[in-house]
Amino acid sequence: MTEEKPLDFAREITGRLGGETITRCYQCGTCASACPVTKTTERYNPRQVIRLALLGQRNDVLKGDAIWLCASCYNCQERCPQKVEVADVIYALRNMAIRGGNIPAIYTEFAAALMNEGRLAPMSKFLEKKRAEYGLPPLKPANTEALKKILAATGFDKIMFRKEGAT
Amino acid sequence: MEEVKVGVFLSDCGGQIAKILDFEALTKFVKDVSGVVLVARGSEFWRGQGLQAIVDAVKSKKINRVVVAETIPKISEVAIAKAVEEAGLNPHLMEVVDLKNHCAWPHIDTPEEATEKAKAMLLAAIEKAKLLEPIGKAEFPAVKAVLVIGGGAAGMQAAEDLAEMGFKVYLVEKEPFLGGLAAKAVRFFPTDDCAICIQSPASLTTVTQTSRKCVYRSGLSEIPNLNVLTNTKIVKVEGSPGNFKVTVERKPRYVDEKKCVACDLCTSVCPVEVPDEYNAKLSKRKAIYVNKLLVYPPAYVIDAKACKFHECAKCFQVCPTKAVNLDQKPEHVTLNVGGIIVATGFREYDPSVIKEYHYGEYPDVITHLELARMLDAFGPTSGVPVKPSDGKPAKRIVFVQCVGSRDRRWNPYCSSICCMISLKHATMIKEAFPDADVTICYIDIRTTGREHEYYYERAREMGVKFVKGRPSEIIHDPATNTLVVEVEDELLRRLLELEADLVVLATAMVPSEDAKELAQILDIELDQDGFFKEYNAKLRPTETKRRGIFICGGAVFPKDVPTASLHAHSAAVKAAKFLMNGKIVKDLKVAVVNQDYCGNCQFCPVTCPYGAIILEPKGDGHFTAKVSELLCEGCGVCVGTCPVGAIELSHLKSSQISAQIKALLSVNGTSKPLVLVFSCSECGHAAVDSSGMAMMSYPANVRVLRVPCTGVIQVQHILEAFKAGAQGVMVVGCKPDGCHYEVGSQKAKQRVEMAKMLLQAYGIEPERLEMLNLVFIEGDKFAEAAKTMSEKVEKLGPLQLS
Ligand code: SF4
Ligand code: SF4
Ligand code: SF4
Ligand code: SF4
Repeated sequence: MTEEKPLDFAREITGRLGGETITRCYQCGTCASACPVTKTTERYNPRQVIRLALLGQRNDVLKGDAIWLCASCYNCQERCPQKVEVADVIYALRNMAIRGGNIPAIYTEFAAALMNEGRLAPMSKFLEKKRAEYGLPPLKPANTEALKKILAATGFDKIMFRKEGAT
Repeated sequence: MEEVKVGVFLSDCGGQIAKILDFEALTKFVKDVSGVVLVARGSEFWRGQGLQAIVDAVKSKKINRVVVAETIPKISEVAIAKAVEEAGLNPHLMEVVDLKNHCAWPHIDTPEEATEKAKAMLLAAIEKAKLLEPIGKAEFPAVKAVLVIGGGAAGMQAAEDLAEMGFKVYLVEKEPFLGGLAAKAVRFFPTDDCAICIQSPASLTTVTQTSRKCVYRSGLSEIPNLNVLTNTKIVKVEGSPGNFKVTVERKPRYVDEKKCVACDLCTSVCPVEVPDEYNAKLSKRKAIYVNKLLVYPPAYVIDAKACKFHECAKCFQVCPTKAVNLDQKPEHVTLNVGGIIVATGFREYDPSVIKEYHYGEYPDVITHLELARMLDAFGPTSGVPVKPSDGKPAKRIVFVQCVGSRDRRWNPYCSSICCMISLKHATMIKEAFPDADVTICYIDIRTTGREHEYYYERAREMGVKFVKGRPSEIIHDPATNTLVVEVEDELLRRLLELEADLVVLATAMVPSEDAKELAQILDIELDQDGFFKEYNAKLRPTETKRRGIFICGGAVFPKDVPTASLHAHSAAVKAAKFLMNGKIVKDLKVAVVNQDYCGNCQFCPVTCPYGAIILEPKGDGHFTAKVSELLCEGCGVCVGTCPVGAIELSHLKSSQISAQIKALLSVNGTSKPLVLVFSCSECGHAAVDSSGMAMMSYPANVRVLRVPCTGVIQVQHILEAFKAGAQGVMVVGCKPDGCHYEVGSQKAKQRVEMAKMLLQAYGIEPERLEMLNLVFIEGDKFAEAAKTMSEKVEKLGPLQLS
């Protein structure tokens, strides 16, 4: 068990956009059996993520890989009898993890791609050929200057790349 | 008017407080107050010789106003008032102050200051007493008859109780037969006997007093004074507590109850078949029918929606006693009753809104009441759980708990009996079919009642499987006509797919459909979940805000039968207590309207928590407020509301409040600025009492003025206190949701806020005014707040009044 009181972590989560409803959870497990990811891997169970969070297990939650496995399908959120916004809670936890510097490499790569090329998926010969087949015009390079300005203004770059000034 | 002669009786509590307060100085001070003709000192005045001294002074006509310094006014007041009345004086010409708990104890460290405060307290009591006027009594008729609405377990019990106590009872049931939901439940927990058993009436010679009795064979009709009206609904309620006029509509039964011999010939000829709602539509019945054998009343009924009437008339032709009357018309009847008991029960929630469980879509997903009908040996499947889709016996049965209960999307509360219902059904199935595969999926199993945990234990012993986890989806496999329940077994942390022939939903229990309409007709409240609201669940269960109207059983919240019966007894006793004297006698401690001032603003009728004020035409096109002496509880919330001061309380007039404000602030005796506390007579005053009892100290410059409810306080009173020399004002009332007069302390809060705004406008620091909501056990909070306020106003410096 960590030093901090369990509720401190829970309060931090409820203070975040998407995390507000987490303390309502009464561990009924509806989300778990509704979750398509839980069906395929033991590494992810939304009920368990919430339980760990409510017990104050900050490191297990924010440093582990579970929260990154959610597919955001909202199957759980639709069914939760306590109206816990399960998928949104997962988003809140991801945001907290990122702020704490726990970013899976792939997300840093996505972010870099977005900053530098203006797209998440890089252009490839294959894609261009497919577009031509479908009669779509070739893609123009994105205006990354404007995008960079926006992302800088929102603090995205600082958060994602742990630049100075990130909070 | 007769000259006012005040007698003042000072108790030093057996010398206890004479060590702190200077009684000689007090006696001398009091003697000099105009109007005081007698001052006596003693060790106690609420009983024994002390009380006799008061009685003698009253009897000899030496005094006609009584002021007593005595501890715990709430108790001593009653004894003194009674004695004073017997001695020939109106008992309201009396005032009691508590010098011990409100002065000596809390100011034990500053005896001189305490004595000065005691002078102020006595002066206030004397000045008030001088302005007191006699208050009379009024009598209202109480008809010794009760209407019980709802003929289920609770309603039948209440009706029987009252009838046996000698009251005339009308038991009204909207369905054609008695029994309600309970009668459909096959068996009851925790006794496992059949559901149609209720307590037997002792008056029936054929049944021994201790034997139980069947709803159907009880001979309810034989209980003297009990009139059962089935197929009947409430249309209108007029009149007032003790004397209601209730209009009911008797729907036609088309069969004469007195002539029908239940020979069943009619059903054999009736050509119309419809789904039988009594059996959860799992079977069919004819248009003329009876719920089951031996039902009460033991007479058939025609379903008007299904019957072809004169087009067919076969039953009419076949009936050997000519009981069938196809031309019967609805009938309105007016009942005159003194009290009303609502026992309309609850019903099953329709779980089809919970899409993931597919109720109504997959026929083999059923509710627990539907299962109950199957498990009834006389029921549609003769006691065998079957798959409605193909009629085959169900071998694998999965129960799902908390369906629509404990669910913020539908009903947030725990329905409280469905765990037990499922345990009961699961064990019944296991008993009859030991090979059946029975699983209960639960979030928590709640078995809190007497004997209930044994059901859980027995179910485990019998092999019922328990899965901790709430299913997220029920899937139907058409190839095998099997259901699959998706659930996480949390304890194993494993996802399960449970195959089932039958899935039973432990559906929530919700208020009966007509609760809202009935609440409107009766002018009583529903709670946030739609059940009938008790006046105070702790202190006044089964009572409502309206006197003479009581509620019990599942109409208040889902209950098992034993609890519903207890609740019914409670309502019956309350109704009996209310009516037993045949009249209601009350002190006229009520609000009085000065018709010349009333500006017809309509504020008070809306604010009165008891609906005691109506607007009455004056004849000149205007209206004036009129207070019902019967309904008024004397709280004074209307007084605080009236913008023109047109209402006052007979037992606390404006002049009396003003006199007390002035007197309490006329003597200081400390170097500190004076603080005036308005406290209600209930929790607020109790908190002040308890701080004194526990000798929690606060400064003697804090003075307390008691009013019935803080709702009586007008902004005007607060300003008056400041004008009279208070440097700080506190208002101490009940908790906002625990106010003895419902809305009083909430209204007071609004007025305090308003007064703060005014103070600011006058250039006075609003923090000189504060409202506290306290209960008895929070005496420490009162002492602390009084100290803080005193220090605060001292720091702020003297009040600048222009
Ligand atoms: S469904 Fe809701 S209440 Fe149930 S475990 Fe998941 S988050 Fe908690
Ligand atoms: S939103 Fe995430 S946690 Fe919820 S069911 Fe979908 S994948 Fe699972
Ligand atoms: S009694 Fe049991 S099944 Fe019913 S709502 Fe409460 S916990 Fe759920
Ligand atoms: S004193 Fe109270 S109960 Fe009586 S009329 Fe006024 S608000 Fe209503």
